Amino acid sequence: MAAATHILAGLARDYAAVTPQRLKVIDTYMVFCVAVGLIQLAYCVLAGSFPYNAFLAGFGSAVACFVFAASLRMKTNPKNAGQFAGPPEAAFAEFVFCHIALHFVVSHFLG
Amino acid sequence: MRLAASLGACLALGAAWLRVVCAGSAMGDRLLVLVPTAEAAGGYSELLGSLAERGFDVSVRAASNSSVALHVDGRRQYDHAVLLAPAAKRLGAALTAHSFVRFVDDGGNLVVVGSSDMSDQSRKLAAQFGVVFEKHGSRVVDHSHHLVTDGTGDHAVVAASRLAAVPAVLSPQLLEAPGTVYFRGIGHRYDPSNPLLTPALTGAPTTYSDLSGDEVLSGRQLGLVSVFQTRRNARVAFSGSADLFSDAFMRTTQSRNRQLVHDITQWTFQEKAVLREVARRHYLAATGMQPEHYRVSNDMVYEIDLSVYYDDAWRPYEADDVQFEAIMLDPYIRTTLNRTRSSGPAATYRGDIRLPDRYGTFTFRVNYKRTGLANVDVKDTVAIWPLRHDEYPRFLSAAYPYYTGSFVMMVGFLALCAAWLWSAEPSKPVTQAKPATQVKPATQAKPATQAKPATQAKHTAKSKPKSS
Repeated sequence: MAAATHILAGLARDYAAVTPQRLKVIDTYMVFCVAVGLIQLAYCVLAGSFPYNAFLAGFGSAVACFVFAASLRMKTNPKNAGQFAGPPEAAFAEFVFCHIALHFVVSHFLG
Repeated sequence: MRLAASLGACLALGAAWLRVVCAGSAMGDRLLVLVPTAEAAGGYSELLGSLAERGFDVSVRAASNSSVALHVDGRRQYDHAVLLAPAAKRLGAALTAHSFVRFVDDGGNLVVVGSSDMSDQSRKLAAQFGVVFEKHGSRVVDHSHHLVTDGTGDHAVVAASRLAAVPAVLSPQLLEAPGTVYFRGIGHRYDPSNPLLTPALTGAPTTYSDLSGDEVLSGRQLGLVSVFQTRRNARVAFSGSADLFSDAFMRTTQSRNRQLVHDITQWTFQEKAVLREVARRHYLAATGMQPEHYRVSNDMVYEIDLSVYYDDAWRPYEADDVQFEAIMLDPYIRTTLNRTRSSGPAATYRGDIRLPDRYGTFTFRVNYKRTGLANVDVKDTVAIWPLRHDEYPRFLSAAYPYYTGSFVMMVGFLALCAAWLWSAEPSKPVTQAKPATQVKPATQAKPATQAKPATQAKHTAKSKPKSS
């Protein structure tokens, strides 16, 4: 038990020290996505999936944002720099474009 | 023949003034009575008198008269027929079992009587309706209930009292009257599961049919008088005894023959228990109009007016078991209609119905079949359409969490963009990525683009040496 807490504390310390600021921002965002998605899923389980299109839009929006964020995180992680062509700003631009398209679809699907 | 003619004339004269009083049958008043010989008609004067009194145009003919035809040029000549000649070996040329069946198919009503020595032709005719008379020469016998005259009795004249409680056919007066029905003749088998055939008079447990063979036909299985109604509401009555209709039996003391014959002929000749649908309507509850097609889950109203004929007039039919069905292969709805008013000649039955949440071609049906009553089976085919794309309800309160979730994700995205663009790379402990507080700067994305080259330069400068 002590070992486990020791490992976790070490993990947290390393994360705070080593991870770049931007990746921390993305991580925060991903946690936020998961939280929003889970809340909607819980509501759906409890209250029923009656406006199913709205559920799909809301839940799908959270999932897709999480996926986009994961993609952005991979492409902008300095450790992965050798694997992806193009600068992180290009990845960010893709991220923004995908989000615009996603929210366009989501807002159409909501009503 | 002369007697028949004179009797016919006399009856026609009687009928002429009585018709004003009684309208008679709901269907028509041309009645053919086939008797073995013209002389035999005298033995049925009570029956013939009663028929004439009820407004029938009675034609009494000998069964062997070959000029009698039920159809001429394909047109039915009579509305009702009584075959009172069970033993006649030779009927008129145009009178075959087939011609009687065709007569009934065409809507004619028929009374067929049998006797111990009934002909094969009558037997064959009865078999067409599921009434199987016993072997030639067999009689119905009851040693406990029989006609007693002068201390001696004929056990073959059965005093039957097992009348079926079918109020549509047998009147309460008959069922409550004292006495018995005298019956001398032949019994028949019937299939109790046949929905079209109803036994009206059956044997008592002590009544049996002799010459039955191995399986003695007795009690309830022994049919004495049965009535049959076709799916098109033509009616046929069978009696194993011609004497049942005779003056002799009607005039016997403690005899219920007169009332039974009256009830059976009234029912058979459509003088009572004739049910019909006068009108029917279905419409949307909201508008009161019948639409070209309904939508799923519409609230609609179905109404049907039913009328029953008895005592020479159409009257409101009152019951509490009229059901409505909405069918698409299976009944999606089956509900009992409520009687809302009984005015004039018809009673209105109404159902407030919510259509199923299912689109397709449905049949609205009222299928009312009750023992002794004429069948009512009416169908309307209606289309039920699904909602159009713009007819669904929108912005439901149940979906607010999903709406909120979607917009929160949009706001979160803007916050991330802001945090990304303004995040300072070198370890600068500024709090960031608080979505709620950073929404506004995100809208000013344009100034941020100026910052972009700087960050890009910084980033590339940092990452390049690493990769190389």
